[in-house]
Amino acid sequence: MNSRAPCPGFSVPPAPRGGLVGELALIAAGLVLLSFVIRIHWMADFAVFFILVLSFDLLYGYMGHLSFGHMLYFGAGAYGAALWLVYGNASALLALGVGIAAAAGMAAILGGIVLRTHGASFALINMAFNEIGHFLVQSPLAAYTLGEDGLSCTADPLFGFISLYEDRWAFAFSAAVLLAVFALLRVLTRSPFGLLVRSIRENESRVQFLGYDTFRFKWITFVIASTIAALAGALFTLIQGFVSPRVISPFGNVDVIFAVLIGGAGYLGGALIGAAVFLAIKNFLPVMIPELSRWLEVKLPQWELWLGIVLLVIVFSLRGGIVGTLRARLRKPRAVEAGA
Amino acid sequence: MLEVARLDAGYGPARVLHDVRLAVRPGEMVFVVGRNGAGKTTLLKTIAGLLPPTAGEIRFEGRLVAGLPPERRARMGFRYVNQEKRVFSRLSVRSNIELAARGAGVSFESAWSRAVALYPKLDEFRELPAGRLSGGQREILLIGRALAGQPRLLLIDEPTEGLAAIVIEDILRILECMRQSVSAIIVEQNLTVVRRLADRIYVMKEGRIVHEIADPRQLAGSEQLECFL
Amino acid sequence: MIQTVVYGLTIGAILYFFSVGLALTFGTMHIINFAHGMVYTLGVYLFITFLQAFGQSFPAALAASLLAMLPVAWVIERFVIRRLYGESLDYAIIATYGVLLIGTDAIKMVWGTTPYPVNDPIGVAVPLAGMDLPLYRIAIVLSAFALYVALRAFFRRSLVGRVVVAALEDADGVRCLGIDVNRHFSIVFVLGSALAVLGGILYAPISTADPYMGFHILLLAFAVVIVGGMGNLNGTFLAALALGMVMAVTGRYWSQAANAMVFAVMALVILLRPREAH
Repeated sequence: MNSRAPCPGFSVPPAPRGGLVGELALIAAGLVLLSFVIRIHWMADFAVFFILVLSFDLLYGYMGHLSFGHMLYFGAGAYGAALWLVYGNASALLALGVGIAAAAGMAAILGGIVLRTHGASFALINMAFNEIGHFLVQSPLAAYTLGEDGLSCTADPLFGFISLYEDRWAFAFSAAVLLAVFALLRVLTRSPFGLLVRSIRENESRVQFLGYDTFRFKWITFVIASTIAALAGALFTLIQGFVSPRVISPFGNVDVIFAVLIGGAGYLGGALIGAAVFLAIKNFLPVMIPELSRWLEVKLPQWELWLGIVLLVIVFSLRGGIVGTLRARLRKPRAVEAGA
Repeated sequence: MLEVARLDAGYGPARVLHDVRLAVRPGEMVFVVGRNGAGKTTLLKTIAGLLPPTAGEIRFEGRLVAGLPPERRARMGFRYVNQEKRVFSRLSVRSNIELAARGAGVSFESAWSRAVALYPKLDEFRELPAGRLSGGQREILLIGRALAGQPRLLLIDEPTEGLAAIVIEDILRILECMRQSVSAIIVEQNLTVVRRLADRIYVMKEGRIVHEIADPRQLAGSEQLECFL
Repeated sequence: MIQTVVYGLTIGAILYFFSVGLALTFGTMHIINFAHGMVYTLGVYLFITFLQAFGQSFPAALAASLLAMLPVAWVIERFVIRRLYGESLDYAIIATYGVLLIGTDAIKMVWGTTPYPVNDPIGVAVPLAGMDLPLYRIAIVLSAFALYVALRAFFRRSLVGRVVVAALEDADGVRCLGIDVNRHFSIVFVLGSALAVLGGILYAPISTADPYMGFHILLLAFAVVIVGGMGNLNGTFLAALALGMVMAVTGRYWSQAANAMVFAVMALVILLRPREAH
């Protein structure tokens, strides 16, 4: 399906240069700045969403596989951790491990199935599994998950002193995990492995002709992306102390897809910026619009309408998202100089 | 009649054609030869309007056509016959011709009689789904489709590829029949066919035209043509 | 048992009405059209409004809302779908999803979020095998079969239909014969939208209208289109009825599992189908 985009040649852009340490410092500074602007209570949630969006960028932005079922793994991580805390013991680290391991195992099995499809089928078969997962949590496993009511759980402080129920600790810890995930993905996407994954996005059959077993690479990438999503999910459980079927609902995928696109698919920094912009649209518009409409004395539409407009603008005039567009703008003058 | 100048084209970022120049005179049957991957199919698709050129000009009877969509070029008299022998397989042979007549703005009866005049056997297959035809019959149907209305310029991609010798004879006869009445650019790998029909030959290599053979009748044999590839 | 069959066929019939347009857009333009859900929902809300305006006359309101939706569908085709032609799958998904979001929000603004019930326009039940079956459900099933026959004739006999069948296979080939496929695609798009609206209106009396009804049927219709073979019109019909039955049979024993079972069947079909070319 995807091969409709005519791209028989390799056109993988060279990986941008730049110090990893510098980037991490920039992200850390950005997070701290953000924490002054908004309530620190929200910061950990934001960091979790950032991690989730980064994991999706690996799958979609770098490998070109659009999935409508990424929340399955976020949800599996979240429920894995919660179930461990309720029915196992109160160790936060073990809960984190169980959540991640459960989702990784699921991704390893399901990856072998879903990766046999491409394009629209891939997007929708993932959605199908996500829908099934959502259903399992809601109904057949309700004896354990308590279904729609959700599951409350408490963990002991991490390493004996980091209580994730305190906003500052939660923010610090999730920010540290976010930086670690970013560093991992940065190294991974710039490695030869990362180049191969990007080549699969451009033209999978070419990569096959070169003698690579593309299925294996796709499978590994799928499992990594799903596992990082599960990490975000398990972290979510530890911070919130509560999970409900909403964490595994397929509708959550839409948020993640849009965040990646707004920022610019295929750029890790773009994913973060997109996630921030998306959260701003999602969290502040519903607050601001009633204010604004009271002030203007007109009835204004809710935030979804504005998001819809943003999406149309991205598709029809801001291809590549914020980062992709900026890059293209910045690169043009340079190209002229080189030509002169 | 058709002039192509400084044409560059390709798929996405991959450039396939470089600085292609060629011309077709009225009534002329021009062949394009070259090895696989030389850009022959890309050239035909670009002229037909299926691929946008990245640079250069395509003029048809003095008019620039490079920006026009394929259907507009078809209405000016362009007809493209694809390499894969892809017919509308779910439609009947009759419906295939019917759509062609519709596109050309002529009556079905006149299009059908032209097609049957080329290949009388077509009448037997009239109501058969086109997907059930053999490779050679599909090629003939495609050419019949292209000849509905009054085409001015035929663009045919490898008409004899993968066909048995006896079917090739049928196709050669059909191509011979339409000579004079229509100009054509034909991509062909079978050099014997090329030598029998060509008024002029262009040789392509790596996306460029590297030779023009103005008088193929001077060639000693297809071996000599082989040397240019 | 008979009741389950009739319920399954009813759901299948509605799914069929909705999925035809989705399958056609996918087959001709390779676009997964989320905006289809918005057209469906908006059509039903207009119908409810017209129903009040026309003194509860079902046929008048039906005709009026169908007429009113034609220009809406045309605008979506002209300004969103057509600009996506030849684009990659993801951009098409995102743009049409944007349209769905805008439409859903606009519906919420105008009509609010409370579900609207609609009365059964026939209101007669026929006794069958010791049970009372609403005649209205049987009418829905029959109209789906009628639609199937009509569409078959349309695609076989009419010129527009045959152009579309040819374009499903080789759109470039059609264009190279001098036929403007875009014009034909927009006719088919508007037709598909009208059928979705019709399906929504037929379904309204046995369900309720809420702003998210389009989202829910979209997910199920994706399954129909995939199981039916991505743009295969006969396949879409069979898949819609089959998945409707899957929902009814599952729902009879375990009502919460009905949707999940549809997706399980879809996953199974994707797996068992020979590997698709890419």
